Amino acid sequence: MKRTILTIAILSATLFSMAGGKQFQQKMGQTLAQYASCQTIEDYLALGNKFKIISNVEKEEWLPLYYHAHCYIIMSFMENNDKAKKDEYLDVAEESINKMIELMPQESEVFALQAFYYTARLVVDPMTRGQEYGALSGQSVGKALAFDAENPRARYIKISNEKGTAQFFGNDVKKYCEQAKELFKNWDNYKIKSPIHPKWGKDYVKQISKSCN
Amino acid sequence: MKRYLFWIVIFLTSTNLFSQTTISGLVKDDKGEPLPGANIYIEGTYDGVSSDTDGKFSFKTTEKGKFVLKIEYVGFDSFSKEVNLNNGNIELEIILKETFNLLNAVTITAGTFEASDKKKSVVLSPVDMVTTAGTRGDIYGALQTLPGITTNGESGKLFVKGGNSDESKTFIDGTLVYVPYNSTAPNTSTRGRFNPFMFDGTIFSSGGYSAEYGQALSSVLILNTTTLPVEDQLHISLMSIGCEIAGTKVWKNGGITGSFAYNNLEPYMSVVPQNYDWNKPPESIDGVINIQQKTGKTGKFKLYSSINKSKFSLKRLDFNKMNEMINYDLTNDNFFVNASWSDLLSKKWSLKTGASFTNNIDDNFFDNNHYTESLKGSHIKSVFLHEMNKKVFIKFGAEFFNKYYKNDYTTLTDTFLNNYSNTILAGFVETDIYSSLKFVTRIGGRVEYSDYLNEINFAPRISTAYKLNRNSQLSFSYGWFYQYPSDYYLLYTNEIKYERADHYIFSFQSRKNKRTLRTEVYYKDYKNLIKLNGGEFYLPNTYSNNGKGYAYGLDIFWRDKKTFTNGEYWISYSYLNTKRNYLDYPVEAVPKFASKHNLSVVYKYWFGSLRTYMGSTFKYSSPRYFNDPNSYEFNKSRTTAYYSIDLSITYLHRENIIFFVAVSNVLGFKQEFGYQYEKNSNDYGIYESSAIIPSSKRFFILACFITLSGKGDINQLDKIK
Repeated sequence: MKRTILTIAILSATLFSMAGGKQFQQKMGQTLAQYASCQTIEDYLALGNKFKIISNVEKEEWLPLYYHAHCYIIMSFMENNDKAKKDEYLDVAEESINKMIELMPQESEVFALQAFYYTARLVVDPMTRGQEYGALSGQSVGKALAFDAENPRARYIKISNEKGTAQFFGNDVKKYCEQAKELFKNWDNYKIKSPIHPKWGKDYVKQISKSCN
Repeated sequence: MKRYLFWIVIFLTSTNLFSQTTISGLVKDDKGEPLPGANIYIEGTYDGVSSDTDGKFSFKTTEKGKFVLKIEYVGFDSFSKEVNLNNGNIELEIILKETFNLLNAVTITAGTFEASDKKKSVVLSPVDMVTTAGTRGDIYGALQTLPGITTNGESGKLFVKGGNSDESKTFIDGTLVYVPYNSTAPNTSTRGRFNPFMFDGTIFSSGGYSAEYGQALSSVLILNTTTLPVEDQLHISLMSIGCEIAGTKVWKNGGITGSFAYNNLEPYMSVVPQNYDWNKPPESIDGVINIQQKTGKTGKFKLYSSINKSKFSLKRLDFNKMNEMINYDLTNDNFFVNASWSDLLSKKWSLKTGASFTNNIDDNFFDNNHYTESLKGSHIKSVFLHEMNKKVFIKFGAEFFNKYYKNDYTTLTDTFLNNYSNTILAGFVETDIYSSLKFVTRIGGRVEYSDYLNEINFAPRISTAYKLNRNSQLSFSYGWFYQYPSDYYLLYTNEIKYERADHYIFSFQSRKNKRTLRTEVYYKDYKNLIKLNGGEFYLPNTYSNNGKGYAYGLDIFWRDKKTFTNGEYWISYSYLNTKRNYLDYPVEAVPKFASKHNLSVVYKYWFGSLRTYMGSTFKYSSPRYFNDPNSYEFNKSRTTAYYSIDLSITYLHRENIIFFVAVSNVLGFKQEFGYQYEKNSNDYGIYESSAIIPSSKRFFILACFITLSGKGDINQLDKIK
């Protein structure tokens, strides 16, 4: 009888009190899996909404804010018709990034994403914004690498920014191609801190290597 | 026993299956349009969903009891509703209201051109101000391509909507710049004292401006210094007319830029033929310091100071005997300092305060005469801004101006020393009331007291704007604008009053698909203008305020960034009809500085593969009137029309090296701005004359800009573009 009651108690505990931490991990894992099926801006918007819901519940977690901003940055790259909308998506991303920096002022991935966001701003109007946002993106990459010199996303953005500038001035891009190839080769050697930590970027690096040949 | 356990487990695991509440519905805006992608969720839980393309949604939750349902959509006020979750179905139809956001709201644009990155109503960007061909890196030159401005090539100053150049005032970071132009020989084009790269957020108001500003009958130019760069830099500029070196050092939350420039036109003028006969071409040295520092979380302190000395000497026709040449020498010393501080006092209150001081001395020698003008001007100002609620803003402030002007004239036989000093105390209040995102009203008033004139004036100002749709808006402005008379008259009498102009401006603006159209009609009623009664200029009762005049016109601005890939253009056209009866005019006549039609076409193109940027400007101004004393009619003689085509080419040699070439009046059009007449008629009773022509047919400039910074890849490209 005692064992029965104990079993029921344990079952109840497991069923009814999925502890916050574990539920959060699970929920994040489930939501992250949906990235693979995102095709349109609407898909990313819906996905971003899910991360927003999670971040509203888990106010001390930075990762939901990270992916929320990330979705909106992707949306701004995908939007090709309305320039004003590109900036509107980036305004949403900016808000999440700023909240994230307050939570984690020393996390490399946070600044790598900020650099990615600044590049997205630059792309909206390169002629006018080239100098200002190029410098800001470079600054954020610098911070990201200072906190973690191996962060592959920060390294990717650095290569991408520098290659873009070199191309614009008609300079040789060979060394950036080499760096991209090297980064692609060693991508999987970087140890990610948890299954829900950011791991995007390998495809972008592949694109850079491809565009070199 | 086991069966018991089995049923308990089934019961526990199946509780979830039976206790779900379904929430579904439709999300729309207040026009009935569905909102796809709205975020609908139960506050405090993970349960939620996004609305589909028809604005519809549906989801299930296992939560029980009273919860708050939240609906969010970017750009709209979020919606909350308490719901009772008890296994049923909840169906909702939700209407979201657009958020009131100043960035999306209508803006008052009547009479205003804003060059900044911030607001949506802006038609120019800061780089436009400096990169337009023919402006020679001069802010006032760039403004000449906007509608509402009459080109006076022999002056280079701003003549706005039928007003004279002294009817426009310039402010930097809120404080007055008493002497914004360089000193030049008579009828020689001048330029602004400032490096236009220092500014962003420029607002040029060609009429109907805010109660925060006064003492300008026609327009104000509001310049805001730009934030310092993010890292240490060194700029070197080598030009055919001189060189400049500027260094910036930044520290946490602040920085300092110091620059030094030396200009000498002698080498240039020895190579390029000039119409004027220079004994010593213009030479100048400049030093500038610019300090910025963040104070606390939200405060910003700025200090700008410049010191400049310039001189030149040329041979000029003697206006008393036009078959003789005299030497005309001018030395100018100018010192300017301006400090400003702004900060948030609380969530809804902010303060901007500033002070400026100018000391300007022009020392003039011509034909044994010595003429010195010296001006000391100061300005102190404080402005409070209060956000009463999201839709009502109030601004009020107080200002103190003091000006001391001295004028010494020594001839071979006489000495005349005159000076006067005037203090003005002013206060203003202005409120912006947004009835909605679409309609805003601005009401304000300004009071000024002058101790020298012993007179108070009160000026009401009112503006409104209405947003017709996402792309267009209408705006209207009405106000009284006072300005105390010119120093040249105040020197001899204080028994005259403020001059006044009343503005009525109506404007329409539409932007769509990277194209902008702006049209503006206006009427200006000039009153109390200084009139000379035929007596000698140094006798006080020569002056009265009986002069008056009017100006009305139509300004059109069309900008297209879409039609040409890698290219853009804008067209400005102004129609102006104005007459005055003031100063020494015997009758009402068209003033010398006005021309009926003004047209500017600016075209810019980027040759990507060559890394070259080309700019070109075409300008046309219809003939202006001038007075020929040999004729019986006043101000009825006309100049020829004014044409000019200016070209500039920028080449990015390397990331941090830029080459720049510009030519004004490329095709060498003959330009003539009127005639200068001798004071006295000759033996035959004819007044001799000589044409007023530009100092040279064309002006060339070659420059190389080099930037060195920590990273080596920042350059002055944005400055040129």
